[in-house]
Amino acid sequence: MERRRFLGVLLSLSGLSALGSLIYPVFRFILPPGEMSSGTVLRIKRGDVPQGSFKELVLDNKPVIVIEVPQKGYVAFSRICTHLGCLVRFDSDKKVFICPCHGGTFDMNGNVLSGPPPRPLERINLNIEGEEIVIG
Amino acid sequence: MQRLYLALILLFLLSSPLYGKEEWKRAFEEEYLKIFPVDEAPKRNVCVSCHMSEIMRPELRTIPSQWSKSWHARNNISCHDCHGGDPEDEKNAMSPERGFIGKPSFKDIPQFCGRCHIGILEHYMKSGHGRSLRLTGHAPTCVTCHGAHEIQKASIEIINEKLCSKCHSYERAKTMKQALSVTERLIVDTDRALSTLKKKGMILEKENEEFFRTHAEFRALFHTTDVKLVKERTEEFTKRLGVIETRLSHYFKELNFRRNYSIFLTLLFAGMAFLFYLFYKERM
Amino acid sequence: MKIREFIDERIAFSELIRSQFSEYRVSERLNIFYTLGFVALAGFIVQFITGLFLLIYYIPHPQYAFQSVQRIMNEIPYGWLIRQVHVVGSNLMVAVVFLHMFSVFFMGSYKKPREFTWFIGATMLFLTLTFCLSGYLLPWSQLSYWATTIVSNLPTAFPVVGDCLADTLRGGKSVTGFTLSRFFGLHVALLPPLLSFLIALHIFLIRRTGISLPPWNASEGMKGSGQDIEGMPFYRFMVKELSMVMLYLAVLFFIIAFMPTLFLPEDANTPADPSKTPEHIRPEWYFLAPYEMLKLIPSKFLGITAQLIFVIIFLFWPFIDKSPERNILKRPVLLWTFIGVTGLWLLLTVLGGY
Repeated sequence: MERRRFLGVLLSLSGLSALGSLIYPVFRFILPPGEMSSGTVLRIKRGDVPQGSFKELVLDNKPVIVIEVPQKGYVAFSRICTHLGCLVRFDSDKKVFICPCHGGTFDMNGNVLSGPPPRPLERINLNIEGEEIVIG
Repeated sequence: MQRLYLALILLFLLSSPLYGKEEWKRAFEEEYLKIFPVDEAPKRNVCVSCHMSEIMRPELRTIPSQWSKSWHARNNISCHDCHGGDPEDEKNAMSPERGFIGKPSFKDIPQFCGRCHIGILEHYMKSGHGRSLRLTGHAPTCVTCHGAHEIQKASIEIINEKLCSKCHSYERAKTMKQALSVTERLIVDTDRALSTLKKKGMILEKENEEFFRTHAEFRALFHTTDVKLVKERTEEFTKRLGVIETRLSHYFKELNFRRNYSIFLTLLFAGMAFLFYLFYKERM
Repeated sequence: MKIREFIDERIAFSELIRSQFSEYRVSERLNIFYTLGFVALAGFIVQFITGLFLLIYYIPHPQYAFQSVQRIMNEIPYGWLIRQVHVVGSNLMVAVVFLHMFSVFFMGSYKKPREFTWFIGATMLFLTLTFCLSGYLLPWSQLSYWATTIVSNLPTAFPVVGDCLADTLRGGKSVTGFTLSRFFGLHVALLPPLLSFLIALHIFLIRRTGISLPPWNASEGMKGSGQDIEGMPFYRFMVKELSMVMLYLAVLFFIIAFMPTLFLPEDANTPADPSKTPEHIRPEWYFLAPYEMLKLIPSKFLGITAQLIFVIIFLFWPFIDKSPERNILKRPVLLWTFIGVTGLWLLLTVLGGY
């Protein structure tokens, strides 16, 4: 009897800890994830983006670039090339983004024109608030 | 009935001969593996087939095999991507109308490679090598250090006495190599860490991108052959690589945690198996 | 206890437990192999539960499938645990199902009156393999895509209907997003209730005919069953079964701890690229034997016919082997055929690995 009781206790203890160590991960798994976006924004003035040119900034450790597209207004893109991650630059004469690593070229809408990049440049949220441009 | 199933078993066993394995393996792969969607057939490369044929001049016949071992080939860059022309049409394979530009002259080599490797070209042109090429027509070009077709992934060993003492003493190159070595060490270590993590299932796109642009920028910088500049910016690069390393060490810690948690669960269940067995042995 | 009384007055729960676990007795001669069926069931339940949780975050579309699985592995807390249990568990469950099948065959437990039980069991084996085939594609990795390409091309070996069969399976002429949708529906909606129903039927048949007895040292006649008034109460046998289930889980977590990449090689961590065939694709281990066999047989048609014949023999075996002798050690022809076929299957599996 003694032995059986002892076994029973051991079994229940290990059973409970096994159950606990499986239920805890399931709980963490199901609970909704925390806030995804950090919510930081960058504010610059309209005048900071020279006509027909560009402005490079860093939003939350991420390099972004703002240009003015004719008939569309200001747009912001991530500078990270979708090929391997180098930072693109804007060529004000040819009006394209060029990646210096392997020559990937994107048009003013971020779409791939030529080269190895597989996807368009990532768009970054941009809003105009009066004289200010709010990015992020 | 018994004879029937015996006969069937024999039929099954006899119809799998073990001879002729290699040929059937190839035929099998042809039939079952290379089935393409309706409109897509495998692309031909006439450049390679011509350049490997018996009628080609011997010095040009080695090119396809050199290229096939290169980093370009690994990344699906083939002949026409650099030399132009049409790789699917024998008649127009080398036609200027299809963009064929052939072999660049010695002076034009940097521009030739710089159509894609834009950042490197910029630095090279500012360097002593680039200026020497412009002014005297004599200098190392891309091909001198990296080869023309058997291009491998760049490493610090490209800077060596044999290659760099052709025009001047090795001293300058040695100083440059030393200036690069600390950062280079970090780059190699981070690269190894990233591929270990990838093998263990963690792909880490952001970290890979950040690593790539950091080390691409660093390697591009070297092409200025400006030791002072390299030394000035070494600290900046070391810091950037350090940030990446810290993030990677988090992931290694995570992998360790996963292993430990699984070991804990293994022991728990093994223990319970044993306890249940003892329980079973207890006569009711 | 008040709660127990409350329930008993409504559904006589205690009586149910008593009759199914205490009064129902089984022979003490039931050896350890008799627990494998229950272990396979436990394996299925583990797959079902982990699959359910994976459903929360998995996205069955070719553009998002791979990254949703990556997110589960690296961003969702303990997602790695759920996914790894599902991956390793599926392979372990197939292994247990195979072992169960081998031991039932070896002990002749398929014989009259248990032929239906065997037939249902054989069907369940094929259902399990279909689960594996459909589930394998879902992560949409290089491994998934190309292994599925091979296996989904195999039906083309059938004459006349072959191409149509393969196209229906794939939803097109090659593996695409349509294939993913089909396999997802199969894996998540069609197969689970089907298998669950067959499991229930299988267990019903076992209870109805009575559990078989091992054929060695049989003192009673061959028609004896394991239901034995002088045996042990079923709950005691259940303890033995539970011990084996715990062992199964221990092996599962052992593999996850020390060999986490055993079933997830490099190609499993690369997104599917229909234009790039990886160097060494093969189907998963349980498909290697039929795969290798098709490779070795010169004619496509002969190859698939041989396999079909084998499947039919396998399904209807209890109706082919009608001898009342259950002890395989007394039947050298069958014994050596069994050893030969099993050996051949092992050999083909190993060869298929190269």
